[in-house]
Amino acid sequence: MLLTPALKRRWLILCLLGWLLSTPCYAHLLNMTRVSVVLHEAEAGELLVEIDLGQSLMGAADYWALAKAEGDERSRRLAPVLEALERGLTLRIDGANVGRTFVDAQFEAASLAAIENPLTPQMAQLRWRLPPTAGSVLSVELAPDFEVPWPCLVRSDSDRRTLPVSRLLTADRLSSGALALTEQHPSEAGQDSIIDLLMVYGFLGFQHILPLGLDHVLFVLGLFFLGGGVRQLVALVSCFTVAHSLTLALATFRIVDLPAELVEPLIAASIVYVGLERLLVTDSGALVRQKLRYGVVFSFGLLHGLGFARVLGEVGLPDGQFLLSLLAFNVGVELGQLFVLLLAFLCFGFFQNRSWYASCIATPGATVVAGVGLYWLIQRISV
Amino acid sequence: MTESWKQRGQVTGRLLAVVAVALVLLAVDRARAVLHEPIVFDPAGRAPGVFPERWIHGSKSAMDNEDPPVQVHAYNEHTIILRENKAINYEGAFMYLFFGNGRVLLIDQGSTSSPALFPLREVVDEVVSDWAEARGVPEPELIVANSHLHGDHYAAWNQFVDRPNTVLVGLTHEEMMAFWGFTDFPTERIEFDLGGRLLIVTGSPGHQGSELSFYDSWTDLLYTGDMFYRGRLYLDDWAAWAASIQRLGAIADEFPVAHLVNNHIEMTSTAGVDYPIGTTWQPDEPPMQMTRAMLDVAIEATEKIDKPGIYIYDDFMIYNEIPWATTTDP
Repeated sequence: MLLTPALKRRWLILCLLGWLLSTPCYAHLLNMTRVSVVLHEAEAGELLVEIDLGQSLMGAADYWALAKAEGDERSRRLAPVLEALERGLTLRIDGANVGRTFVDAQFEAASLAAIENPLTPQMAQLRWRLPPTAGSVLSVELAPDFEVPWPCLVRSDSDRRTLPVSRLLTADRLSSGALALTEQHPSEAGQDSIIDLLMVYGFLGFQHILPLGLDHVLFVLGLFFLGGGVRQLVALVSCFTVAHSLTLALATFRIVDLPAELVEPLIAASIVYVGLERLLVTDSGALVRQKLRYGVVFSFGLLHGLGFARVLGEVGLPDGQFLLSLLAFNVGVELGQLFVLLLAFLCFGFFQNRSWYASCIATPGATVVAGVGLYWLIQRISV
Repeated sequence: MTESWKQRGQVTGRLLAVVAVALVLLAVDRARAVLHEPIVFDPAGRAPGVFPERWIHGSKSAMDNEDPPVQVHAYNEHTIILRENKAINYEGAFMYLFFGNGRVLLIDQGSTSSPALFPLREVVDEVVSDWAEARGVPEPELIVANSHLHGDHYAAWNQFVDRPNTVLVGLTHEEMMAFWGFTDFPTERIEFDLGGRLLIVTGSPGHQGSELSFYDSWTDLLYTGDMFYRGRLYLDDWAAWAASIQRLGAIADEFPVAHLVNNHIEMTSTAGVDYPIGTTWQPDEPPMQMTRAMLDVAIEATEKIDKPGIYIYDDFMIYNEIPWATTTDP
């Protein structure tokens, strides 16, 4: 059954009214822009832009004329479009602009009416050649005054990745951000420069103490509650730091590899120990002799380093900046530990010489540390 | 002697305190586990659900429209259907949230990018947060996926880019295939465990080459995206679509499909009559959900149609390999 002509006219009028009265309903989704970047390490790459020129950089009539033109006439009409695309669409690899050479263009143009109607998109395909690159990060950016039919889908392919990476550019997000060209999965954001890389991995390290590394936080607090003065605390924390830095590096380079099922319960056991060390001090002496304590803390540091390495392994390290990223991660971890100690000092440090410090702060604190450690130990063993 | 006993007593007391702390934490853990037993999504039964009497369907004047930009409808407590306001975009696209234990799947992100016009992220955040709060569980991980790769279904994808606890499947065919684990697209059936809720994912190209369909074993809903809905079925590849429809028929034969759900409504409630493309007010919409009988009509069509053209049926129109956005409008 079909609508009568009168009914159809009514619908058409309603449709047109709706169209005219509302800008929000007018969407260019059928003619959205696509930017595809293919990069190779040893051979030329390609930039392909699919764009509705008749609805963006050119008027419909100009696009119709361009599509029909041939030879020099076509080149003359195309020149301003290429210039606009050169200015409005920027590719950067590792922060540096990438030059490109125009190759060819194809124009879909069924009719002038079709070009004028955004619901019947007539897309142009423009192709450039890109130089070979060994860079690690690509970004695609549109100039603020570059009006394309939104959204703009960006696709990046690299012969050093298995999968492409996709991003969507919109009027309020004009940059793809960093798109990794190598097979890795760190946070791909903000690695345009060495500074950004240090910031990203430093932050990741810090984050793996606070707020994500509660077990490492408790261990450090356990050391704090051991008491013995600032000098001894610094010495113990240094032992811990040296040890976990060592295993973090060894495990990252895959020289040491222990299963998480073993490492995680042992980390929990180390927390129990450091709490008990405080609680079991009696007049007859500490649980272990002072000199041995450094050895014990060093051993536990080795274990915690394996824990950090597992987390870092999940994030990944960029191929080109392996050592630097590892160093930044480690620095982040240290800053996280120092921050925990600073907080502990600010909260409890001023009372260390009071008579009630041991009974009201250190002993209850160590009890909580050991208790939580025991809870984790049972939990991790049962898992 | 007395001093020694005193010390031993002190040490024992401290050890008992440590054990007590651990036991209290273990007890809290146990209590939480009992209170928040995982939801059982039993595939043997059929979880009931309801569709709205009528969907919000735009207005005569889009500018004067006072409906929410995103209609939120709970098909049941763990299945939410969203619809973009037709006054914002004529596509009036449907989007779906399927909740499982610890994971929630968002299929499609509508036709409008601007969060000011179409605050999809805000709406999804609220729905997910309310769902988690009602159950006293942490917010589940959000999987941002797509039925297929047309811009009217991922325009607001960017709104989720910086969302924590979120997995973005990606907007390329390769990323989609890798995420779902396809090695033999489109014929393969993938069993996807959405936290105890089993989804069967299969390829259904024809309208677009990367299209997926989902069968939810808990609700028995068969989601057919853009490849089968009450409207103009624009087909790029007839052979692929015909094979996809037949595969969906096989799923409907094998599983007790309750309803076919999808992405748009373009038909009127008069058989064989559609709204013109671009319509922002559809007061005479039929329901969105479709029936097995309608799928059978499509299967029958795959056996009869052998050349490009427009084929009109009561509940849908097949636009077979004809130029995009061609319409039957005057």
